[in-house]
Amino acid sequence: MALLKATYVSAAVLVASAACLQAQAARAAESQVKAVFLFNFAQFVGWPPAAFPDSGAPLVIGILGDDPVEGFLDQTVRGEQVRGRAFQVQRYHSVDEIKTCHVLFISRPSAARLDDVLASVRSKPILTVSDDDRFAERGGMVRFVTDHNRIRLQINLDAAQAASLTISSKLLRVAEIVTPPGR
Amino acid sequence: MSVRSNALVTSKGHRPMAGTRAVAAGTWILFAFLACCVEPGVAQQPDSSLSADSLKKLSIEQLMNVEVTSVSKRPERLAQAASAIQVITQEDIRRSGASSLPEVLRLATNLQVAQVDSRQWAISARGFNSTTANKLLVLIDGRTVYTPLFSGVFWDVQDVPLADIDRIEVISGPGAALWGANAVNGVINVISRNSKDTQGLLVSGGGGMELRGFGDARYGGTLSPAAHFRAYGKGFARQPTVLPTGLDATDDWHAAQGGFRVDWDPSPKSQVSLHGDLYDGRISQPGASDIAVTGHNLTGRWSHAISAGSDVRAELYYDRTHRDIPGTFGEDLDTYDVDLQQRARLGARHEVVWGLGYRNINDRVVNSDSVAFLPAHVARQWFTGFIQDEIALVPNRLQVALGSKIEHNDYTGFELQPSGRVNWRLGPSGTLWTAVSRALRTPSRIDRELFVPAQAPYFLAGGPDFHSEEELAYELGYRLQRGALALSAATFYSRYHGLRSLEQVNPPAPVPLVIANGQEGESYGAELAADYRVTERWRLRAGYTELRVHVWAQPTSTDMSGGRAESNSPDRQFTVRSSADLAARLTLDGTFRYVGDIANQQVPAYGELDVRFGWQPVPQLELSAVGQNLLHDHHAEFGSPSTPGGRREIRRGVYGAVAWRF
Repeated sequence: MALLKATYVSAAVLVASAACLQAQAARAAESQVKAVFLFNFAQFVGWPPAAFPDSGAPLVIGILGDDPVEGFLDQTVRGEQVRGRAFQVQRYHSVDEIKTCHVLFISRPSAARLDDVLASVRSKPILTVSDDDRFAERGGMVRFVTDHNRIRLQINLDAAQAASLTISSKLLRVAEIVTPPGR
Repeated sequence: MSVRSNALVTSKGHRPMAGTRAVAAGTWILFAFLACCVEPGVAQQPDSSLSADSLKKLSIEQLMNVEVTSVSKRPERLAQAASAIQVITQEDIRRSGASSLPEVLRLATNLQVAQVDSRQWAISARGFNSTTANKLLVLIDGRTVYTPLFSGVFWDVQDVPLADIDRIEVISGPGAALWGANAVNGVINVISRNSKDTQGLLVSGGGGMELRGFGDARYGGTLSPAAHFRAYGKGFARQPTVLPTGLDATDDWHAAQGGFRVDWDPSPKSQVSLHGDLYDGRISQPGASDIAVTGHNLTGRWSHAISAGSDVRAELYYDRTHRDIPGTFGEDLDTYDVDLQQRARLGARHEVVWGLGYRNINDRVVNSDSVAFLPAHVARQWFTGFIQDEIALVPNRLQVALGSKIEHNDYTGFELQPSGRVNWRLGPSGTLWTAVSRALRTPSRIDRELFVPAQAPYFLAGGPDFHSEEELAYELGYRLQRGALALSAATFYSRYHGLRSLEQVNPPAPVPLVIANGQEGESYGAELAADYRVTERWRLRAGYTELRVHVWAQPTSTDMSGGRAESNSPDRQFTVRSSADLAARLTLDGTFRYVGDIANQQVPAYGELDVRFGWQPVPQLELSAVGQNLLHDHHAEFGSPSTPGGRREIRRGVYGAVAWRF
């Protein structure tokens, strides 16, 4: 009985203290935060004019492969604009389906064929993003690293520059710049 | 890649055999020998959880500081595989409260996992389970962990720092074409995290009932921008299991292990890694000195991307293992292995993978008078090659993979293990797959070189003509991933030829017996798995497996084993798992499992519950309380009731743990 009571009290204390701590850090679903990052990239990255078919064309965020980010992204970009352009979210099951695209999120299932995917979009002005290990080293541009329940960014600046993309210093300042070894 | 072995010998659950005490005595000795040696989540979002609108107002720095929850992370890379694959992620491992590799494997619902005593486990897929199960291939970071004695796994020396595992891929069904020998009914592939992803200091420890105490420390650092390392040390002490009477079974044990891993990227296209482990364990046994198990291993790997769609990799490892069971058995085994593999895209539709391998073992056994491997000292080698072509018949819709392994071993010469797989994508979310495979379990030392007693005349003798056991497997499966729901179903029918038998040499005289291939078998069943993300913070998973195995003697056979060694699997098992992120930084996970009875061993059906409660007061610190097998004081999972000394039962366990990251 005493044991039961002690257990009950400690559980209550635990829950109460957790509830206090909860207020100190904002929390959100990982996929939700990634979706907002993808949205933000549109504001911190500059594309060459040729990347858009015309001045009113939308900025396209594409998702290659099945990923929970997908559902959150629609919600995140709804009604938003960047430099006078609306957003459009597209889903691809294979790299051949990608036509006009500005930010490409490559989900892990497709990451198995990552080298092929990266090779086929290499010379195009597409910001490639993934959470795959070694993404930046393998020629991808932005990697989400989930570390201690927080998302950090790794950016391969050389790869972005090679695709004629400019990345704002505001973004670069908070990211880890990765230079693939041997370059 | 190559050796596999049999389980006949495990037929501990033998019936009162056609009479004679001599058979009984001989079989007992064999069994005794083998037994010892070879042996609700919260649906609503807490107030502090941020919406898309509030997240959009944050600066990039603030966004990077948002704590993310990922209970709903999807199993990765499952969608395309044309086989019954399940993946256990690091998150799954951490939240399960499992404290050893075999406990972690309970998370794969397509495996049969049974704890035999404090250190021994019977683990298999699609039946044929025993402590000497021989139809499953287990790899730890590319190193095949098996013993050439019986082509099974000594689970008491397969320890891995659980926090450093990236994922475990578990395939039920044959994987022989790519993976090779032993991969008759399944493959378990344990993959560690790159040392780049395990930087900093992690210290954890705890203890309780059953798992009396444990401590782990790992440090990861940077050698240069392109090179990282980690080193770890760990130890544990476990309490003994109990006999059905509740008495202590005197099998408590303790072990320590240390190791390292270095990852280096010499160029953007190349990766090199080197890792090794060193371990030492002591296990009590009744009436004799402690069992000692020690060993070390070293693995080097190199991979290089030649171009998009083409890469080459090489791997080299050395593994030393020593086992001393005072009064019964001793063994020193050295394994040397080298593998080479290349993948190349040919034209628009073909992706070809091929490889070559060589393995050499040096096995030295210390025999006793009652049972012996003869000769005591052997050196054996295996040569393997494989090729597989994956053809995109209709790009992104219909894929066909054709391949085969070819192997040469010292027992049976050349062996061929082909397979064909078809993967058909139905719409955006469904995949239908089917496969036909031939897989072999080639002979191991126990089939050819086991003698009881150690001097003639023998009760039991290894079979000089023992050849490979053959399986023809037919599989059909479907996988669906739609939004928050993932479902998979795999069905199979397998036919086995030449399963191990114990043949009377001079019937009707019950002894001597010789090991041969006198049995046939078939198995069929279905493995169902479901994964439902109820909310971002609550995930439910379930698994259900139905399995039938029939084994019978060939018409000309005088088999005395009666297929018992091959039939120690429950007809069905069911698991349901809930993972919930409660209010802030509190997680609650529970797993209920039901395992049907093992009729052959008179192991009753049982249901058990594991629960873990985790709390992270600050991101660096995690406290957890774990309860394992909570529903009974003790329960039996595997083994005949007439096991020498009594069948061991598994007790309820409760422990607390603290983990601190710096």
